[in-house]
Amino acid sequence: MKKNSIGLWLILMLATVFGLSGCGGQTAVSPTAEPTAIPAAVEPTAVSPSLTFTDGLGNTIELAGPAQRIISLAPSNTEVLFYVGAGAQVVGRDSVSDYPEAALAVADIGGGFGELAMETIIALEPDLVLAADITPPEQIKALTDVGLTVYALPNPLTLDDMFNNLRTVAQLTGHQAETERLVADLAARVTAVTDKIATASATPLVFYELDSTDANAPWTAGAGTFVDTLITMGGGQNVGAMMDSAWAQISIEELLVQDPDVILLGDYTWGGVTPEDVAAREAWQGLTAVQNNTIYTFDDNTVSRPGPRLVDGLEAMAKALHPELFE
Amino acid sequence: MAHSRFRPYLINSLLLVLALLASVAIGAVYIAPATVLRIFLGHLPGVNMAGDWPATAVTIIMQVRLPHTVLVALTGAALAGSGAAYQGLFRNPLADPYLIGVASGAGLGAVLAMSRSWPTNWLALYAVPVAAFLGAVVTIIIVYTLARTGPTLQTTTLILAGVAFSSFATALTSFLMLRSNAELRRALGWLLGGSILSGWTPVLAMLPYVTVGLLLLLTMGHTLNVLQFGDDQAQQMGLNVERSKRLLIIAASLTTAAAVAFSGIIGFVGLIVPHLVRLLWGPDYRHLTPLSIIGGGTLLLLADILARVVLAPQVLPVGVVTALAGAPFFLWILYRAKAKVMW
Repeated sequence: MKKNSIGLWLILMLATVFGLSGCGGQTAVSPTAEPTAIPAAVEPTAVSPSLTFTDGLGNTIELAGPAQRIISLAPSNTEVLFYVGAGAQVVGRDSVSDYPEAALAVADIGGGFGELAMETIIALEPDLVLAADITPPEQIKALTDVGLTVYALPNPLTLDDMFNNLRTVAQLTGHQAETERLVADLAARVTAVTDKIATASATPLVFYELDSTDANAPWTAGAGTFVDTLITMGGGQNVGAMMDSAWAQISIEELLVQDPDVILLGDYTWGGVTPEDVAAREAWQGLTAVQNNTIYTFDDNTVSRPGPRLVDGLEAMAKALHPELFE
Repeated sequence: MAHSRFRPYLINSLLLVLALLASVAIGAVYIAPATVLRIFLGHLPGVNMAGDWPATAVTIIMQVRLPHTVLVALTGAALAGSGAAYQGLFRNPLADPYLIGVASGAGLGAVLAMSRSWPTNWLALYAVPVAAFLGAVVTIIIVYTLARTGPTLQTTTLILAGVAFSSFATALTSFLMLRSNAELRRALGWLLGGSILSGWTPVLAMLPYVTVGLLLLLTMGHTLNVLQFGDDQAQQMGLNVERSKRLLIIAASLTTAAAVAFSGIIGFVGLIVPHLVRLLWGPDYRHLTPLSIIGGGTLLLLADILARVVLAPQVLPVGVVTALAGAPFFLWILYRAKAKVMW
């Protein structure tokens, strides 16, 4: 992730040269606030041996059988594929996909801030390309133009949506039975957390930091993001919920007024920002979270990639916000 | 004399052909040059080549590499050709499409399109290039109207209006990008000069504009030469200065807009190539424009090969390569030119 992070910053620095400063440090993958995709209606036909699906963009996709050579265009898709047990069927993945570790052994087909390596994709002869909400429509068109089958996985907005995505991918790849068990496990873990949180006596105010290159205007996650959803489910209240866009810069003045009880450092994943760094920031020292030393590093990938690790993110969130309930 | 006139064209065309061949031969996937050639010949009408190559090789060559190569060459030619025209028009060797705001206007149009989730119709897929094109055209109209005082067009006011509008458009673009969520990545990639369109459709869409624009510019070599004497003297020499300037701006801007719309924002090609041609072969626009068009295609092809090879399989936006490689090169030329004058 470190290497990728440097690349990201290099590009952002170059962007500044082009007069586009202040783009912040968003991770490459992000759930959007806008429900741009219709939830998939997956109905494999019983009549013919071939499978017909309707994807997140409303396109009809036909497969001769469960896909055997799959290319993933997003880290979340890669995680979903490996989770449902289709890891061995993945023949290519985008450059940002780094989880699980086995995914690193799969051919890299570009992506990130650059273009997809169309040639490599074609040469891998995939029978299914799994696109995501972050895949530009032009790219999907370019892939279908050369005769590839592209399924755009809809962007989940809730954990239930994400479970449906797991089921969809399971059907595309022929892993329905085991995926039902996995989804049941995940759902049980979610219930275990929410049951505990229901007994909590307080809802601490949480500031989730995405990037603090400008400590006077750090980036945070707003309403409609999984960060916001998981903070709420984990028994907290997101400072960023007041922002009207999914990713936004908040002024230090507003942050001082809000005075969060807990600070979560998602940017630890990207820039190695530690609680000590936060405590050393000049204007931040009066904050309750700094005074009480309730600043924690947080694995941003578990909340920014809409895949099965969201449940890990929920558990980590609940433990950070209500340690007393998890003793 | 005739011999030395001919030589620059020979050298430039040869370099362009080599760059075209290299661009088709080099890619993320290795396909033997002989196979490339045979696939290529097999697609010529009347030629029947037996194929012992995989179908994927044909797809890669005919539907990915070849259209990409043509798009890049056209873009480079368009940018350098219009760059030469702008330099002549403004009598300023540092003038380029950016200076009158065309590129920034196109950028604004594109980012505007990306930040909206427009309905799925014929426009949706090409919403970005179409919006970029409209942005560029609207910019020319605004800048031109602002700069014109009465019936005359002063070059300095045109540049000032262009720079001012450019700042405005860039600021608005930054604002839109800050407000966008997932679109940021796409917008940033496009602005850095990497097109995500591929296949023959964008090539065919861009071709008429570039062809008409460049042909028009090619006929105006003499006009550009006369304009170098200054507006008053050009007028005295019998040139309809205002009409010529208007025609030049329209032709050059439409050419730039088409390139920017389909290939993203790519800097320095329009600046460096005409400059280099002028240093090597002199300032006569009757040769400067065509040599720049050929040279622009060559330079962008080389930059694009670099962009595809350096971080393979990652593809670097070609605009990053032209800026990173172009700027120091340009400074070196400036330094050498300065040294020549001083000593």
